[in-house]
Amino acid sequence: MKDRSSNIAGFWFVLPAMLVVGALLLYPVLSSIFFSFTNRNLLKAVYGFVGFQNFASILQSRDFWNAFANSMKWTAGSVLGQLVVGMLAALALEKIPRFSGVFRTLLIIPWAFPAIVIAFSWRWILNDVYGFLPKLLNAIQITDGNISFLADPQLVFGVALAINIWFGAPLFMINILAALKTVPSDQYEAAKIDGASGFQRFWFITMPHVRRVIGLLLILRTIWVFNNFELLFLITGGGPAGMTTTLPIYAYRTGWGLRQLGMASAITVLLLLFLLILAAFAFRLVSRWERNPTK
Amino acid sequence: MQRNLHYPNRTLKALALSSALALGALTGGASAQDDLSGNLVFWSSFTQGPRAEYMQRMADKFTAEHPNVKIAIETFSWAEFNTKWTTGIAAGQVPDISTALPNQVVEMIDIGALAPVDDVIDTIGRDRFYQASLGEGQKDGASYSIPVYSHAQVMWYRKDLLDAKGIAVPTTWAELKDAAIALNNAPDTYGVSVPLGTNDRMGTRYLNFYVRSAGGTLIDASGRADLTSPAAIDGINYWVDLYKTVSPEGSINYNVLDQATLFYQGKTAFDFNSGFHIGGVKSNTPDILDDIAAAPLPRLNADDPVYGGETSNIALVAWAVGKNQPAAKAFLQSLYEDAEYINFLHSVPGGMLPALSGISDQPAYLANDTPQAVREQRSRDRSGDPAGLCHRHGNRPEGSGRPHHQPGRHRTDVPGHHSQRHTGGGRRAGR
Repeated sequence: MKDRSSNIAGFWFVLPAMLVVGALLLYPVLSSIFFSFTNRNLLKAVYGFVGFQNFASILQSRDFWNAFANSMKWTAGSVLGQLVVGMLAALALEKIPRFSGVFRTLLIIPWAFPAIVIAFSWRWILNDVYGFLPKLLNAIQITDGNISFLADPQLVFGVALAINIWFGAPLFMINILAALKTVPSDQYEAAKIDGASGFQRFWFITMPHVRRVIGLLLILRTIWVFNNFELLFLITGGGPAGMTTTLPIYAYRTGWGLRQLGMASAITVLLLLFLLILAAFAFRLVSRWERNPTK
Repeated sequence: MQRNLHYPNRTLKALALSSALALGALTGGASAQDDLSGNLVFWSSFTQGPRAEYMQRMADKFTAEHPNVKIAIETFSWAEFNTKWTTGIAAGQVPDISTALPNQVVEMIDIGALAPVDDVIDTIGRDRFYQASLGEGQKDGASYSIPVYSHAQVMWYRKDLLDAKGIAVPTTWAELKDAAIALNNAPDTYGVSVPLGTNDRMGTRYLNFYVRSAGGTLIDASGRADLTSPAAIDGINYWVDLYKTVSPEGSINYNVLDQATLFYQGKTAFDFNSGFHIGGVKSNTPDILDDIAAAPLPRLNADDPVYGGETSNIALVAWAVGKNQPAAKAFLQSLYEDAEYINFLHSVPGGMLPALSGISDQPAYLANDTPQAVREQRSRDRSGDPAGLCHRHGNRPEGSGRPHHQPGRHRTDVPGHHSQRHTGGGRRAGR
């Protein structure tokens, strides 16, 4: 009886916070779902229900599928690249006997800057007329003329991806480094005595300890990068000719450029559904790792 | 829809006197009975230092005269303003007054977001505004915007580069192409940059110049975009050709600022922009200030008449939801007092052209170096000086606009709606 009354009291204490968090989380999601079934214009108060018409139009749109493909490439390339670079940096820092704190600080610098600073800095560095890098490559005769990194169809996506990897890798590095600190050193010593190679020590000792951290980072970063708008938009604006237009940029252009809020909401609902499926799958995988660390 | 009022001189003087008295009554200081009060929010897109400082000074001055009125100025770039007001409308979070581009004014009027400002215009003097600029903010006989300045697009060029090659200032598109190819010395100097980024409408602006020169428009009589007319297709091919030949490859992503920066830094031989280029070059590369000049937009044939490709009338508006409209309107009026208005125009010399008649001839306006140079040059131009529209500090950009305005060639009247002189709705590259 006492437990029940204390539970009720606890419920009343957390209720305000639950309501605020619930409203802040649910309102945008629910309003997006609601507007996705309407022909709502950003500026006009009057609108009507159009059923699944927005979804049908979007799914038949070549621009949507182009943006979806770009989002997939952008997310997979960014997250895997960040994982590899972050992992290598973390392993290197773990081995450095002196000044590792200094290097750690230097390596985390990209993560410390706002996206707008990163984007404009890189745009300035890569500008094909007065940018530092194209001029340098031209001056030392590696290239014939100034390369336009952000306009060349062969380069633009890879260059934007490289910037995002450079930007996001420190988060992986710091978290993996923290996980590496928890690995008991006697396990490495015992493995060494048993004649295990460097790769075997990494795979059978290091990886099981950092796998859970990596799994969670992969899930979080996948969601963040898939939803990321500002960095790519500020670097390329989605161009040239839609080559770097991802789903968030496509939704922004539809909602704010064309004022079609109903259509933009439908795009974000599709994006949400896709991410929910992806996250559910990923969480199941991580749970399985936790239950059975050897698999 | 558009009012055409013609007053005899005596009436004008009387109107001016009564306007001055009315203005004096409204802004005459706290000592008189002051029924103006309230907290005003002003969204200003005058981001550059001198213009922003000017607006703050005017707000402070107004508050000093009307202690019950407080004005909070929030400054946004035009791109930010576009996002801010469109989302603000849905949430009911819009200011009392703001700056606005002409295409934004049309959208704002359409959704009933603006308060009529005929009383302010009448007090300033309706006949002092250019009718076309007033017409852009009118619907059903009511005015919803007050033009604050204009800027017109002209062709800017580097005199020194042309002189070095012995090339005359191009007057046709074909001559421009030949000259741009001759002056192209990439990566040091490009003939011309063709901005094709999708974050603003610079590419559309360039295409519009070409289509206008052919006597066409990008918006047809029904208000729809027409990109398949022979003139539009020729124009697209022309600019694509120039992009491939003499433009930086990166200009496929350029917006208005990227584009202007190249000319400011002396990286392009030709460019298309307004008088804002004078200040831009002056602050970025003052060494080449004497080497820049402007000429009318190129034509299809040399004997075609000079035409106005685009004149933008930047406006001030009062929002309908504002709870303190008398104070908001009084503040708007205070910005048009001749002496202060001239100070405002001088905050970007040559960039902002007066929206009011009777300003450009005033000694105070001409006291600034740039308008005086423009005036001298225009005199030389009228007397047959063949070297273009300017020598020292650029031209009066409206040289390609109003003075040569030819009815029927410069504007498209969208049936049943607003007078439109440009390429139609949508976000335009503002300054």
